[in-house]
Amino acid sequence: MALALVLLLLLSVVVAFRIYVAFTPRQRSAPKARPAETCGLAVFLGSGGHTSEALSLLHSLDFSRYTPRTYFVGVGDPLSVQKVTALELLKTGTLPESTVTNPAAQHRVLTIPRARRVHQNLLTTPFSALYSLLVSAYHVTVAPFLCRSRGPATRFDVLLLNGPGTCFVLCLAVLLNRVLGLPSPRVIYVESFARVKSLSLTGKLIRPFVDSFVVQWPDLLDDGRRGSCYGWLV
Amino acid sequence: MRAFVTVGSTKFDALIHAALSAPVTSALGRKGYTELVVQCGNSEVEERVFGAPYEMEGLRVHVWRFKPTLEGDFDEADLVISHAGSGTILDVLRKGKPLIVVPNTTLADNHQEELAKALSALGHLGASTVGELPQTILDFDASALTPFPAYDGSRFRKLLDDEMGYTS
Repeated sequence: MALALVLLLLLSVVVAFRIYVAFTPRQRSAPKARPAETCGLAVFLGSGGHTSEALSLLHSLDFSRYTPRTYFVGVGDPLSVQKVTALELLKTGTLPESTVTNPAAQHRVLTIPRARRVHQNLLTTPFSALYSLLVSAYHVTVAPFLCRSRGPATRFDVLLLNGPGTCFVLCLAVLLNRVLGLPSPRVIYVESFARVKSLSLTGKLIRPFVDSFVVQWPDLLDDGRRGSCYGWLV
Repeated sequence: MRAFVTVGSTKFDALIHAALSAPVTSALGRKGYTELVVQCGNSEVEERVFGAPYEMEGLRVHVWRFKPTLEGDFDEADLVISHAGSGTILDVLRKGKPLIVVPNTTLADNHQEELAKALSALGHLGASTVGELPQTILDFDASALTPFPAYDGSRFRKLLDDEMGYTS
């Protein structure tokens, strides 16, 4: 009985420590030893203005450096998929491929169910959010773990988020990796250009959990809490 | 001269009704406009306005709901009047077109007004309301606007390179 109690206590200490570690934002990555080293990039495209801003951010990047690229889109968002295709064609001259048919694919599009649809009943939201979290955890936690031998295509080193709600679920999946002690990507949240004096609900929710919280209007940091502003990015 | 009114993919009944009303069309006429194109999106509009362009207060008025891209319409406009959605604002200002925005104050989480006020305070656009739109059109001086800066991708590129440990 006493042994069981001690074990339980030890286990709770370990879990508490893991959670503490997981919820502590990480310092910037150490300088890369080789500048030619690539960095796997994942981004969530939240449809409409969110997708436009996210792709505008990606447009600035060196795609030979940030490769492979994973695009998460919400279920039923063909417009975002079209825009990804256009951006990839523009930047690389190739179309997204499935990593199942081609493990060496440099970019892929994955769909995840929305945590909450516009106007969805609040009562059913926990269920749709949980389903969304399970699918996200599969892509962020399970698949990279299972497919280690299949090359780097399912792994990513940085996850870029800019709303809306479903992106929070992807952030939770990353925290799950950290609680479990698995490799996890750096999470960067960029608040919309449209947010001048008040953060979005997603921004407020996600702020304590991301490694880097970026806004595009300086007044948003007047509360003195964490975040940085480099002016307009889109 | 052509004025282009747009609400993107949204529904903004009050702006569309105002745009097709006599106070706005006569204000546009007094400023020398001869054409008014209205992209009304999902707004509720009387069916009779759709179809062939028609005459109103000396303006040639053309109303329609959607096109795959509004780029051509922005190019051909001498003045754009729009809801204060950030996507439309960026598209129009990057084209260097004079813009008057009318925030949709009926939205639940209203941040359009903040963006409209901030950009108007910087002199990049004119901000108005549905009721004040005719007067704003009369007072609007496109030559007094401050040009909007071009897209600068180097900021985010540097931000992410720094975050991920690329020093060069």
